[in-house]
Amino acid sequence: MSAAADIVRASLPRASWSWGAALVGICFVLACGAPLGVNGYGLYLLTLTGIFALVALGLNFLTGYAGQISLCHASFFGVGAYATAILTQKAGVPYLLALLSGALFTTAIGAIVAVPALRLRNIYLAIATLGFGVVLQKIIFEWRSLTGGGGGLALAAPSIAGHEVGATGLYYLTLAVMSAGLFGAWNVSRGRTGRALLVIKDSEIAAGSLGIHAARYKVTAFAISAFYAAIAGGLFAYLVRYINPESFGVGLSISFLSMVVIGGLGTIGGSIVGAAFYVIVPELLRGIKDAPGLVFGLLLVVVMVFMPQGLWGMMRRLGRGSVG
Amino acid sequence: MIANLVVGGLAAGCLYAMVGIAIVIVLNITDIANFAQGEMAMLATFFAYWLMDSLGLPWWQAVSIAIVFGLVEGIVIQQVVIRPLIGGPVLSAIIATLGLNVVLNSLAGMIWGHQTYTFPSPFAFSAPFVIGGVPIAVDSVVNIAVGLVIIIAMTLFLRFSWTGLGLRAASQNHTVARLMGVSITRTSAIAWGLGGLVGAVAGVLVAPSLFLDTNLMGALLIKAFAGGVLGGLNSLIGVFLGCLALGVTENLASAYVSPSFAEATTFIIIIAVLTVRPEGIFGRIRVRKA
Amino acid sequence: MTHLAIEDVSVDFGGIHALRGVGFGLEAGSIVGLIGPNGAGKSTLLNCISGITRPTAGRVWLGDAVLSTMSSAAVARCGIGRVFQHPELVAELSVHDNLLVACHCSLHYGLFSELLRLPDVRRQERAAAKRVSTVLSRLGIADSAGARVGSLPYGHRKLVDLGRALLMNIRFLLLDEPIAGLNDAEISRLREILLALRREFGLGILVVEHNMPFVSGLCDRLVVLDLGQLIANGPPAEVLGDARVMSSYLGEALDA
Repeated sequence: MSAAADIVRASLPRASWSWGAALVGICFVLACGAPLGVNGYGLYLLTLTGIFALVALGLNFLTGYAGQISLCHASFFGVGAYATAILTQKAGVPYLLALLSGALFTTAIGAIVAVPALRLRNIYLAIATLGFGVVLQKIIFEWRSLTGGGGGLALAAPSIAGHEVGATGLYYLTLAVMSAGLFGAWNVSRGRTGRALLVIKDSEIAAGSLGIHAARYKVTAFAISAFYAAIAGGLFAYLVRYINPESFGVGLSISFLSMVVIGGLGTIGGSIVGAAFYVIVPELLRGIKDAPGLVFGLLLVVVMVFMPQGLWGMMRRLGRGSVG
Repeated sequence: MIANLVVGGLAAGCLYAMVGIAIVIVLNITDIANFAQGEMAMLATFFAYWLMDSLGLPWWQAVSIAIVFGLVEGIVIQQVVIRPLIGGPVLSAIIATLGLNVVLNSLAGMIWGHQTYTFPSPFAFSAPFVIGGVPIAVDSVVNIAVGLVIIIAMTLFLRFSWTGLGLRAASQNHTVARLMGVSITRTSAIAWGLGGLVGAVAGVLVAPSLFLDTNLMGALLIKAFAGGVLGGLNSLIGVFLGCLALGVTENLASAYVSPSFAEATTFIIIIAVLTVRPEGIFGRIRVRKA
Repeated sequence: MTHLAIEDVSVDFGGIHALRGVGFGLEAGSIVGLIGPNGAGKSTLLNCISGITRPTAGRVWLGDAVLSTMSSAAVARCGIGRVFQHPELVAELSVHDNLLVACHCSLHYGLFSELLRLPDVRRQERAAAKRVSTVLSRLGIADSAGARVGSLPYGHRKLVDLGRALLMNIRFLLLDEPIAGLNDAEISRLREILLALRREFGLGILVVEHNMPFVSGLCDRLVVLDLGQLIANGPPAEVLGDARVMSSYLGEALDA
């Protein structure tokens, strides 16, 4: 977000910069110490937030930066989950390696999905990605011998270097992966790829005149977002210890999209805020069926109409107001 | 055997086409793909059910009122949600309608719960027509007939009435239409109202066969979009034929490929078509000038 | 690589002949004006050179490379800069970052290095930022560097657009109606900048314009299009006195 950095630099005194850095530092320290202060369920929620934040970070590149709508990210998430699970359970591959391999495999699929999508826009793109999602979900469902089909797959706890990874271990792993993902995403947003994607979103013709191959970068955006979703999926599989194809459908893809949008399209902070929001709200509205759906749906509409910068944008404006 | 499958597919395709027509009306005039179309129709259908069940109104009355409800629903949604988004990026409108989809679905769930209800149809007990040895349910014939009537009525309306002319002008070029005295928000409201109306018709026709619950329209909406995308979302006939083709393909795939893979197969075909023709089979690339 | 040649280019848009057999050349270091009434095909011709439109017949050459079969990104990389009629800048980014995008082709690092922000990446980004600052001061808009593009006056946005083309190591610059919407001061500033570019870098410049005084004062040569065909090609004084050119703009005299 070098653009954001520029604006912040230009309009705020030096002091607020250190505030921002301090805030990130505090959050990180808190995150590291979390397992000491929360119970098992709280830890589960935190891990889940980290996992969804990863998905949102990746999807943000595709939808927030490159402006491409995708309704198949739940299936990238699912393929990542299944690939990791199958590699560890059935092929005895070490967990971390399986995580990475599963993600690379899904990235390849993401790149393949991107190719027909290159010439499609808006509703046509939405339907095509939806179609891909359905096909991938169906393949998982049908390939019973490999995936357990509709019955799902139950997973034993993973182990890293001989030690079993419990809830706390998985939390720290997720935190580590998420920090790495955050670092990578931040760097890309400040680099030529992030800028190229923003130009492509606005105008592919302008991108061409600047020497940017729109097609190549759209495929890259798909690939990056698929990679993030897949790693998240691999972590998710071992968080919930039971996966089945039903969970990775269009509904989840729409949820992923809402996370990114409500958090703030095109912002990295928004991805984390959106994910946290997505995990917290159903917890707060427990017991009132359909209430979470109502809240999310309403927020999607409200954000699009009144605050396109999302919750993150609102938070930043409030923060700027109190500092400046 | 094939004839049976084809007829069954056409009947199913007609159901998709009903929703598809509502979508295309809104899309062509306001450039917004309404992902909430199905849920709007579902709400109107639940309203009709409530009228029949709680107030004891006869089918024709309940359905007529529900259709008006659909019209009002469309206009209200356009005024509240869509009007602020006119002229903005298309992605925002798509996401907003996705949000609306979830809102309406949750609302219906909160009011009517998640059980399945039986929605009556006046044609349920009529004997099926038999054409060439193939039985066709009266319901299906009615669906096809209503679909065609709506298409013809819409086409005539758009082509030959002043309001229709205004709608077409607005869909091509906002500025010029404004200069001609056409109010963009008014045409937008009319388009969404028509979409809601047609959606309500679709809902009450679909509900008897698919049973009424909050998930009634979910899958149908996707099929409607898919069929429309296949046939090209520019024209009513395109979406109609696309949806019929989708229905038939699904049925045939279900029988000859695999029942569970039928849906996936049709999406594969759609993706293949879009790869070669990004605007759909009958579609044309539309350039709208602000 | 010092000669841009348009060879017998024709473009048909399903029945409409936008261009018919247009041919002329552009040398490095020369400024050519492309004029003609509305609908003459001037923007279409620029699109053919930029690789946005593929000619139905004929070719565009840069030296001995054929541009007309390349994608627009490839054409840009060959050194053809394009400034569009209406600036298409990224509204969310600052002026500085909009210009930084234009350094895309001069930044050579892979995605992996970018993800890790290796020292090499940081070095290249710093160098690019420096080039951007240089161009900003050159264009006289250095104090707007941090401003959001949406808040700038129109004239400034056009300069930013021009700045983007300049950051791309171009040999030829295509300008589509550059002075539309500018006031007099901005127009003369643009004129000075273009002349300086020709003087210092030997850029070849092709300008599409309607403003006759601007074009005849700036250009070495004028090329006139009417209804897709080239009807004149020569020094401004000669071309503007040409009867065919006059009638294409003004219509036939009533008693002719």
